[in-house]
Formats: sequence, structure tokens, C-alpha cells
Amino acid sequence: MHIVVCMKQVPRDNSVKITPDLGIDAEGIEKIINLFDEYAIEEGLVWNGKHGGKLTIVSLGESAWVEQQRRALAMGATDALLLSDPAFANLDVLGAARAITAAINKLGDVDLVFTGRNSTDDESGAFAPSLARLLGWSQLTYVGKVLDVDPAGKTIRAERHLETDIETVTAQLPAVVSVIKDINQPRYPSLLKIKKVAKVNPPVWGAADLGLGVSDLAPVVSLSTRVPPPPRPSGEMVEGADAAEKVKKLVVKLLENQVI
Amino acid sequence: MPGIWVYIEQVGNDIAAISRELLGKGRVLADSTGQQLGALVLAGQAGSLAERAFAFGADVACVVEDAALAQYTTDGYVAAVAALIKEHQPDMLLMGASFQMRDFGSALAAELGVGVAVDATDVKIEGGVISAVRPSHGGNVINTLNFADARPAIIVVRKQSFAEAAEQPGRSGAVVTGAMPATTIRTAVESVAPKTGAVNLTDASIIVTGGRGLGSPENYQKLIPPLAEAFGGAYGASRAVVDAGWVPYEHQVGQTGKTVSPKLYVACGVSGAIQHLAGMRTSRNIVAINKDPDAPIFRVATYGVVGDVNDVLPLLTEEMKQRTGR
Repeated sequence: MHIVVCMKQVPRDNSVKITPDLGIDAEGIEKIINLFDEYAIEEGLVWNGKHGGKLTIVSLGESAWVEQQRRALAMGATDALLLSDPAFANLDVLGAARAITAAINKLGDVDLVFTGRNSTDDESGAFAPSLARLLGWSQLTYVGKVLDVDPAGKTIRAERHLETDIETVTAQLPAVVSVIKDINQPRYPSLLKIKKVAKVNPPVWGAADLGLGVSDLAPVVSLSTRVPPPPRPSGEMVEGADAAEKVKKLVVKLLENQVI
Repeated sequence: MPGIWVYIEQVGNDIAAISRELLGKGRVLADSTGQQLGALVLAGQAGSLAERAFAFGADVACVVEDAALAQYTTDGYVAAVAALIKEHQPDMLLMGASFQMRDFGSALAAELGVGVAVDATDVKIEGGVISAVRPSHGGNVINTLNFADARPAIIVVRKQSFAEAAEQPGRSGAVVTGAMPATTIRTAVESVAPKTGAVNLTDASIIVTGGRGLGSPENYQKLIPPLAEAFGGAYGASRAVVDAGWVPYEHQVGQTGKTVSPKLYVACGVSGAIQHLAGMRTSRNIVAINKDPDAPIFRVATYGVVGDVNDVLPLLTEEMKQRTGR
């Protein structure tokens, strides 16, 4: 079967700056595979290992993202594909999902897509459902365990981990599945494998390759302002001769200010 | 027909707190734009949900009652609501940011080709422009998103963003029933089971969190759950201790765990890495207990206590027990 993992590159932490044109400046922060996507890659590898076929990493981003794609290849993915074009610069979620839908349709034989529940920078989690809908496939979001993938019967059985419940669901393939953190333990690629893929350059498809025009990519939501959060009111240190005195003072403050 | 719709979430036989919040906000938006407020009720059996929505401010309830809607499925819910929207053409649909509604709102938006804002903390209509405020980048960036002309604007709102509407007993409204369209539901839900030892940290009003400063899993277990109990709260953990296997992922607060905003957050032996702050910085009050006076957690703390958690926490537990009798 052919499994696609949609993977994004993100900064390791979110100590980012806002640029004058409302962009995000993450310079100086290490770039990594979006953590939830790393779990998606591992889950893809597990089922690729059982059923064979291809495991393609698909990313929509700048050429520098190839670094993360190579890491995924070193983990064991068989193929990678980068969607990159100046026309993709300011896509909203729907636009990004349209581009990736076009790419998956062009690949043609994809049975299953894994991706992270959300990216740790944008954090919306809207991508996987948008992609599923545009592809016309079933969707399983917030999956904490894949119980079975049956390519012959064209089904996937999985647990969705909700706030307080676990929902066990069977969905028809093809499907888009978004995964949470504790679904598996992602493997570390060996140095040998990292070396082996160091010079791999995945194919790059642009808007024209995907048959997408300006109207296909026009945003339905756009940024009007982007600001840092208001600073927290400054706090106070609770002083005291020893731990006992500090604790007594702390509890008095919490009671006086009706915190408890 | 109403221009502003609120998806009504059901808890037992009543409407959920988040629905009361959204009806409160929806009422304000409807009044300021001269529109009616609609309650969207999807259920196997709607019971008195429409009446409850009227009591909290809705003018009209759009009700679709069908056995296929008793359990949430993306296909069933999207089909039912897409049909209603095509018929009645509302400007805005508000829903609460549970996992199911994130799944639903995003899928519905893509189905209709309209915009969606997930995890919004505010909603505005100004000069005919609908906008939503949503944090990103672990709360370090606050975005205001304007919706283009495609309607409805779908806004999935973070819990506790608005005040709940006040109940007006006896208030009534009009019921419009919709039909469940013929559709293929491609997912079959076999079972819904409560998680064992589930903690809904997002709903807790007090959270006590332990970090690496606790030193060992034994120490975490000895110090953190009893303190949480003394406060009448839930207990959380930093990523470091979850990854070390001290506590299940369920308890993790931060960028790759849960985002919480309780009335009181007590961080014990948590250094305050930016990824952790992302999950708790909007807490109303933060108490930080750490032996390192330079720990970054003190920068967001309302009250800071410099001290060894091994000394401070048992004393704090005892003091709280005496004060509250727990």
C-alpha cells in the first residue's frame, strides 16, 4: 500500500518574533520536524513495515525543509516530495490543504495519510480534517492507537483519544489519520542512514505542476493584526526565614486574594 | 432566519457550559448587528435542548433529530449541518473547542469552502467584517484573523473565553426542524469508553504540577497528588517527567501536552521552559516553588517561593489540609 505522511518543519520552541509585515521570525531557533508529525512518521513506518509498498513524506514549505525530509528518509521513509512555490507563501489552512490534496491526487495510488494532530507553531489542528474533506476521504483525528490497517478489506481500525473518552472506530480507506503524542515511540535514525540520505534531493512540485491557479489558493481568512500577548501583571516573591514561614505567608495571600 | 448560530453541546439532559458561554456572546453579537440568534441542535433525541437554548438567549432553534446523530461522526454531522447552512445561509457558526468540534468545524469549513478559526478567544463583527482572535506559537503570538466574504465564518472557541449567558426562565423561541440528508457515514463507532484514571485538566480550576525538580517518580507520587488533593485540584506534569515515564501523558501541560488556564496553577520544581509556559501562561494565578531563584518560571509567577520542594510541599499540603479540612 502507499502511505503518505504530511510533515511540517517548526522551530524547536516558540520564542519567535513578529516581523513588521506580520510574519514570524524564528531565526536562531533550531528547526525540527513538528513533534506530532514525528509520531505520524513512526506510525507510517510501522504499517509500511507490515504491508510493504511506499511511504512518502509530503511537505509544503521552503527548500530548507529538505533537511527534515532527509531525517524522515533516514528513519525509513521510502520517498519524499516537497511542494514549494512563491505562490504558496501566504496560504491559509484551506489553501495548504488544497495544494496537498492536488499532490496526493497526482500521486494517484495513496491509501492512507498520517499526520500530526496539529503543528506546534500554528496549533490549529484544522489541516487533517480539511485535507480529508477535500480529498473526499474518511477522517480519524486525535488517534492514540491504530489497532489494524487492512488494505484488502480497505479499512482502518483505531482508537481516538478524546478529553475523557476513548472512541474505538473503524473507517473506510482511503483515510486521513491525525495522531497524538503517546501513540508510539519514534525511532532514531542511525548515523549510517543519515549519511546515506544526506545528498538526496526530493522532487519539488510547484503550483503549475499541481494545476493550481491564483483563485484555488486565495485565502478565506487573513491576518489583520499580530501582536505579542499582554505582559502578565508582575508577581511577588514570598519571603520568610524558613520554608514554614513562607508557606504560612503564601496560604494567607492566596486566601486574602480569594484565589482559594 | 438567524444570522448567528451557536452549536449546542449536550451534557446529560442539559446544554453544556460552553454553549451557555457562546449563547451569551452570540446574543451580544446578534443585538449589535440587528440579527437573530440561532441554536443549532443535532441529536438522536433533542429532548428539551431547544427550550434550554431559548432560556439562555436563542431566538430560533434549528433542530435535526436522527438516530444517525446520536453519536458524533464527521460524515453525519457535516452532511446535516451543510444542508441546513445551504438552506438558511447564516453569517457565523460558533462552537466550543472540544476535540470533536475541532474535527467537525474544520471539516465543515473545508466542505463549504469557508474560513475557520480554531481555538479562538474572542469574536468580533465590525463594519460587517467578521474577525476572530486566536493565539498561536504557544501563546507568544496573538493573531486577529479577518474572514473573507465566504459565509458562514466558522469559529471554534476555547472554553472560558466568555461569560455564560444568564438564564431567563420562561423565555421562548421558534423551532425549525431540519431533515437528516441521505449520506454515507464511512466511520463506524464500535465503543466509547471512559479513559481509566482520566483527568480533564482543561476543566480543572486548580492544577498542581510537578517537574524534574522533584528528583524521582517516587517523590512526585509522594508530594504532588496529595498537594493537589489538599487544594481540591488536579495534578499535572512537565514534559520532562512525562517523557521519563513518571506520569502518564494525560497529565502533561505544555506545547505538546495540554493548554490549561485554571484559576490557580501551582508549579513545583518546574523550571519554566518556554514549551511549558506555552501551556499555562494564561492561568489566572500562578504559584511557583523552585529552589533556583533564577528559574524562568518566576517571571510568570503571581507568587514565588524559593525553596526545596522536599521541604515546602509537605508543609504546604499540611497547611492547606488544616485550612480546608480536606
